Amino acid sequence: MTPVRRLAQIGAPKFFAWLLLAFLFVPILVVITVSLTDRDYLSLPQDGISLSHYASLLDWRAGWLASMLTSFVIALISSLLATTVAAAYAIGAWVYVGRWPSMLRVVLLSPLIVPPIIYAVGMVKLWSRFGLLDSWIGVTIVHVMLAIPLAVLAIGASLSNLDPRMVQAARSLGARPPTIFLRVIVPNLASGIGAGAVLAFITSWDEITVTLFITGRHIVTLPRRIWTSIADSVDPALAAIASVLLLATLLALLVRVLFVERGRAPSR
Amino acid sequence: MTRFQRWALALTLPAAVLAIGLYVFPILQVLALSFLEPKPGFGNYVSLFGNAAIGRVVRTTVIVSVLTTAITVVLAYVVAFAIVQMRRELRRVALFLVMVPFWISVLVRAFSWITILRRNGVLNTALTQTGLISEPLDLVYNQFGVIIGMVHYMMPFAILLLVANLGDIDRRIIQAARSLGAQPATVFWRVWLPLSLPGISIASLFTIIFSLGFLVTPAILGAGRVLMIAEYISVQISSTLRWGVATALSTLMLVAVGILVAIAMRHPAMRAAFGGGRA
Repeated sequence: MTPVRRLAQIGAPKFFAWLLLAFLFVPILVVITVSLTDRDYLSLPQDGISLSHYASLLDWRAGWLASMLTSFVIALISSLLATTVAAAYAIGAWVYVGRWPSMLRVVLLSPLIVPPIIYAVGMVKLWSRFGLLDSWIGVTIVHVMLAIPLAVLAIGASLSNLDPRMVQAARSLGARPPTIFLRVIVPNLASGIGAGAVLAFITSWDEITVTLFITGRHIVTLPRRIWTSIADSVDPALAAIASVLLLATLLALLVRVLFVERGRAPSR
Repeated sequence: MTRFQRWALALTLPAAVLAIGLYVFPILQVLALSFLEPKPGFGNYVSLFGNAAIGRVVRTTVIVSVLTTAITVVLAYVVAFAIVQMRRELRRVALFLVMVPFWISVLVRAFSWITILRRNGVLNTALTQTGLISEPLDLVYNQFGVIIGMVHYMMPFAILLLVANLGDIDRRIIQAARSLGAQPATVFWRVWLPLSLPGISIASLFTIIFSLGFLVTPAILGAGRVLMIAEYISVQISSTLRWGVATALSTLMLVAVGILVAIAMRHPAMRAAFGGGRA
């Protein structure tokens, strides 16, 4: 085979794959560059870089901090609730094998497939009947429902590694059911429950479609504020907040790649 | 049933109550309203089929979703195929480049594309300054921009699903084909591709389902000029308050998604993949 043909058959597809990876990654980085612009409209830095758009995020009156706080509180509470409910379900379904838990699993996972706009329409109707539109409780409950599937998947994955003989041993030693659940099963699921809680938190922190319909002037989560700003302005503060979110994600993923995966590698 | 099992059953109850009361019920209510608002009957569905504006929205949605799915799956396959053949370290770098956009907020990603593609955006500025074009191009707020944004959103999902599928293919089959004298192209078309069909089907299925109901990216990158069903529904319930139309369209979308999933589940490989959970 001539080198050129070899390159065409093996080199070109690989090169194309890296080009596509760049297509996925590079556009996001543009935001960081734009956030450093010295102009007060969306543009690349022209006479030098400026951090003024980051500084403007810190101004309480601009609303970014308040929205971050709102999102954080809602994500924290809904993550705790979703993880508790999901863990109880996953453990129950692991012990009680049958038709009912597996049917329920399909329902619990369905928010992953059913388009969120349909759920949004349903919740607007339901919450307007209960007067829960644009309320903390209303948003938190919806975020719990949307976060449960990922928590169920994460906890379910870690349950499948749990040795049933441990539970049998505890039962044969006479442990009462609550003791078995809380002191035998839950501690062994710590990593799965932790992963589920993180996924649930991110789901709530990022949720936009349903939140958009069930919130108004009162509850303005961070995604909602970003959505409104994209629609009505070209404020570079938006690029600054986007960069902050991006850097946080990059950092979290790097920590995972460098520490968590490296620490786990030898055991595989 | 033992006492232990009764306890276990009780543990599944909170999830059941929440799911039925706060997820299933509101969605069933959407289905019911589509037959009841503003007056009982099939009126909403009849008017859906006679309405030219809705017809246009449905057509746009189907065209954009099908194009997005086709482009996404082909490009994702190229990346996934390259990733499964990479050396360990390179594969980690590549997967990192996939995971970053996967975890980045959909809003941040749509906003990036706005800054790049708009008339005085990064790309147009670069192209005019280097003299490649004299007039800025219309790259966004049209179908082109929406499809770029949607492909960019869907590709990480599709890549991760395909990497999982391609990684499970038994390499000894490939080696056997090679040792029997098959050319690389033959190995690809007659061995790799058929074996990866379940992965391709799953990736296509998820991409088309997400695309059909997608609101954020089409709304931002289409800016009202590329109206898809989700955005149309949102206008119906938040501005014009036509609940009948909104719920009837939602019902049709749910039926479409249900049919797609049901078709997928007929395939044993798909059932196995769904049963194994997706991450």
